[in-house]
Amino acid sequence: MDLEQYKKSWENQPKETNTVSNVDIYKMSHSKSSSIVKWIFIIGILELIFWTSLNFMVPQKYMEVYKDFKIMELLKATTVLHYVVILVFLVLFYRNYNSISITDSTKRLMNRILSVRRTVKYYVYYNLGTIIISNIVLMIILLGQPDHLIDALNPKGLNVDTNTTITIFIIATAAMVLIMFLIIWFFYKLTYGRLLKKLNKNYKELDNLEHLH
Amino acid sequence: MQKDLESKFLLDFEQNQNIVHKICRIYTTNQDAHNDLFQEVVIQLWKNYSKFRGDSKFSTWMYRVALNTAISLYRKSTRSIKTQDIDDFSYRIKSSEYDNTEELQLKALYKAIHQLNDIDKALIFLYLEDKPYKEISETLGITEVNARVKMNRAKDKLKNILNP
Repeated sequence: MDLEQYKKSWENQPKETNTVSNVDIYKMSHSKSSSIVKWIFIIGILELIFWTSLNFMVPQKYMEVYKDFKIMELLKATTVLHYVVILVFLVLFYRNYNSISITDSTKRLMNRILSVRRTVKYYVYYNLGTIIISNIVLMIILLGQPDHLIDALNPKGLNVDTNTTITIFIIATAAMVLIMFLIIWFFYKLTYGRLLKKLNKNYKELDNLEHLH
Repeated sequence: MQKDLESKFLLDFEQNQNIVHKICRIYTTNQDAHNDLFQEVVIQLWKNYSKFRGDSKFSTWMYRVALNTAISLYRKSTRSIKTQDIDDFSYRIKSSEYDNTEELQLKALYKAIHQLNDIDKALIFLYLEDKPYKEISETLGITEVNARVKMNRAKDKLKNILNP
């Protein structure tokens, strides 16, 4: 059967009998959205708060340890730089979020939503990268001053093997970074993975088209 | 001012409500999901209504917002789908003056559309609504040439489902 015949049936289909009253439309229009964009915004904000507060949560007492290694200046400088980067990310996140408009074309709209997601993704990459790089740099500095390191790791001066202590220190740091990675990966699978599955699929569907010619 | 805008919106919406129902019918397969999507479309329309300048027809603008919501923003309800609901929408398209053959055709058409992906659904919907390619390409954000290519493929897919 020709599609045109189906089209005729489509055109002749009766109007919805179950129409929604103006009162209900009014109520609906003022209710809360549960759109993907809203969820990405909420999760994104939570993530920014999480990573920022993580930086504040490190007690000052821990930093005292580094005094002996004479790297306080370096730590202060990197902290300031870190906050500048966070600020830049916040501005980018807000700007991307603001540029989402449902009245854009479908492709553009999806592109904007994905770029909000990308900002958050890069922010997380940045944080993970910072953790790894700063840990490596710190480890190199600390291992460069083994006497101070042993003092810091074994303040009570217990009778333990120096090599074993340093090995444990290295393994513990590496394990911590690995665990953090796994937790974050799992978190993404649960949140963005589920949220954006449909959107990504539809975006690819439209995008693939552009490469046909 | 706000009151004026609200009543104008309600008036505009009332005349075009059927468009949203049709979109909900092709993107959802049960009444709960239909209502969910319908509500999300209303929220998005109202949220952006103050930015609607009237340089296009309200219905054209509405097509875009409603389709965008269905394709990009709406998250499928996690509520379990009751199988008996799938054919249920037919109760709403039953009408005494409506020809029985056409009713069966329409049911078959909806059933077939449900098997298409989200983008193909939008293309077929715009074809059935008799929208020109220019509008289709602008709504989806692809070139007119691509819209034609894509439309032909979507039509072929639909034909294959309807006449296997």
